[in-house]
Amino acid sequence: MINLAYKDITHSLSKFIITAISVGVLLGIVIIMIGVYRGMVFDAEVLVSDIKADIWVVQQDTLGPFAQTSKVHEDLKHQISYQDGIKESGAITFQTFQMINKGKDFKVMLIGYDPFGNIEVIDNKKLIEGRVIEKSHYELVVSRKTGYSLGEFVKLGREHYKVVGITKDTVSNSGDYLIYTSLKDAQILQFTYTNERIRSDEKRGIKGSNPHLVNAIIAQTKDGFNATTVARMIEQTTHKKVFTKEEQTRLLLEKVIKKSSKQIGMFTVILILVSIVIIALIIYTMTLEKIKEISILKLIGIPNFTISMMIIEETLVLGVLAFISGNMFARLVTGGFPKRILLELSDAFGLFVVILISSVFASLFGIYKVIKTDPAEAIGG
Amino acid sequence: MSNIAIKIENLSKSFGKGESKVTVIEGADFSLNKGEFVSLVAPSGAGKTTLLMMLGCVLEPTSGKITIGSEVVYDDEWKVKDDRELRRKKIGFIFQAHYLIPFLNIEENIKLLPYQNGESKKVVRERVDKIMDYLDMKDKMKSMPSELSGGQNQRIAIARALANQPDIILADEPTAALDKKRAISVVQMLKKITREQNVTIIMVTHDETLLPYCDKVLHIVDKKIEVVVVEDGK
Repeated sequence: MINLAYKDITHSLSKFIITAISVGVLLGIVIIMIGVYRGMVFDAEVLVSDIKADIWVVQQDTLGPFAQTSKVHEDLKHQISYQDGIKESGAITFQTFQMINKGKDFKVMLIGYDPFGNIEVIDNKKLIEGRVIEKSHYELVVSRKTGYSLGEFVKLGREHYKVVGITKDTVSNSGDYLIYTSLKDAQILQFTYTNERIRSDEKRGIKGSNPHLVNAIIAQTKDGFNATTVARMIEQTTHKKVFTKEEQTRLLLEKVIKKSSKQIGMFTVILILVSIVIIALIIYTMTLEKIKEISILKLIGIPNFTISMMIIEETLVLGVLAFISGNMFARLVTGGFPKRILLELSDAFGLFVVILISSVFASLFGIYKVIKTDPAEAIGG
Repeated sequence: MSNIAIKIENLSKSFGKGESKVTVIEGADFSLNKGEFVSLVAPSGAGKTTLLMMLGCVLEPTSGKITIGSEVVYDDEWKVKDDRELRRKKIGFIFQAHYLIPFLNIEENIKLLPYQNGESKKVVRERVDKIMDYLDMKDKMKSMPSELSGGQNQRIAIARALANQPDIILADEPTAALDKKRAISVVQMLKKITREQNVTIIMVTHDETLLPYCDKVLHIVDKKIEVVVVEDGK
């Protein structure tokens, strides 16, 4: 048997490939959009995941420190450490900065942590150069995407900090690069006012600032203790809001990035629908171009099934080629995006199935045209 | 065994209803024997294409009876379950232009129908080789239709019509796109085919100079069909 689809495709191969690549670029955008969503979810989880804490204690009646501002006293960490089931506790601060390096403007999240504490804040696997902070002052660990090198001095506030470590893949929930400094330096940067501000405050009757605030207390639970039970108990005794690691992660996903991810999700669905419509239109147009041949085939006795199979096979080949070129396009361009784009195999496979099924549905337009074509059109010129 | 290739009895075709009803063919009767070369002649709009489409089971008549070989295909209603299969197995078509499938090469264009009929590769190859030898086109098997001249393509179209060993071939002005010399050559070839392959060819034509090559001429006059037997080219 002669495969009509194969013959038709090879007869106008370049035209077919260009069409497939054009549809592929569209699918590539769909793949990138899914990657943007995955990247957003990944980034939202990476910070909480890197900090090896089981419990987050924040200001009462807040959803801090990421979804809402939270300020608690640093010495709360001692109170927490005495609680049943707590192994370690420490204080932590978060603050965003706008920085410029070598003409490149970017936003960072500064994390202040106790370098002498026992809770790991910087994931050692992500430390690719240098070391973690070992002194109380003027040391900085930066994400490599900031462009700073080991030993370089960086001005933050009124002081210069020496870069002692470089990390990779460390970002905040909003995709900003992470930089780390000691808790003391971070408190000065966040809570200590300038002399002018202090004088101005004093004239208003406001007495001094409190540099011993932090944004959250983090803690690890002892083996055999359930983090949720410990968290609820701390809530009852300290009048603070306490989240487990899982609750904090869920909070980030549900409160912080929910709208953005929904927006991207909706945009992706629209793009998929547009792609399906475009594939359907292309197949319909390709069928219209062959309408004379189809009427001849029908007139000489070729069954609708054989002709319809040609349309379906061509649609499937178009879908597969478009999918391959779309993936290649997506992988080619994602490196240039400023935020993380996660291209996962499972998403690609899911999209592949959707495109295959949609392609078959799209080919129905062409098949409808085949069935409706009157074989008599071939007679009489 | 009957020698009749096609028989038409009291065949009528009307379009529209009520006041807008137009009758094109009315009470047509004729029968053609196997191996006859017949031309169908009528002024434009007289119903040549309509008759050809009814004979090809593409257009449903209003009433009457059509018998192809020994099979009654229409008797006031279609008697065949699958008109496409009937055409595939019993009828060949030749058109004004060659209408070969442009994305298939010459060999594939010719073998498409026999393959669709489920015939074996060996049988099809032998038959197609024979036809192509007969039409002196064997060296063009792997060419694409776009690489051949109009006359060559028309011969390939004839080969395609012969490939499924039909009882009748319906040719819709097969010489219309050819110059006089090539037209005569094609008509002579069609006549030879009717003799040697024992197939009946009904050829629609406007060109009266081709009529002497035919065995019979069907005239559509006042919605009826007159059959004129051609003897000694007259």
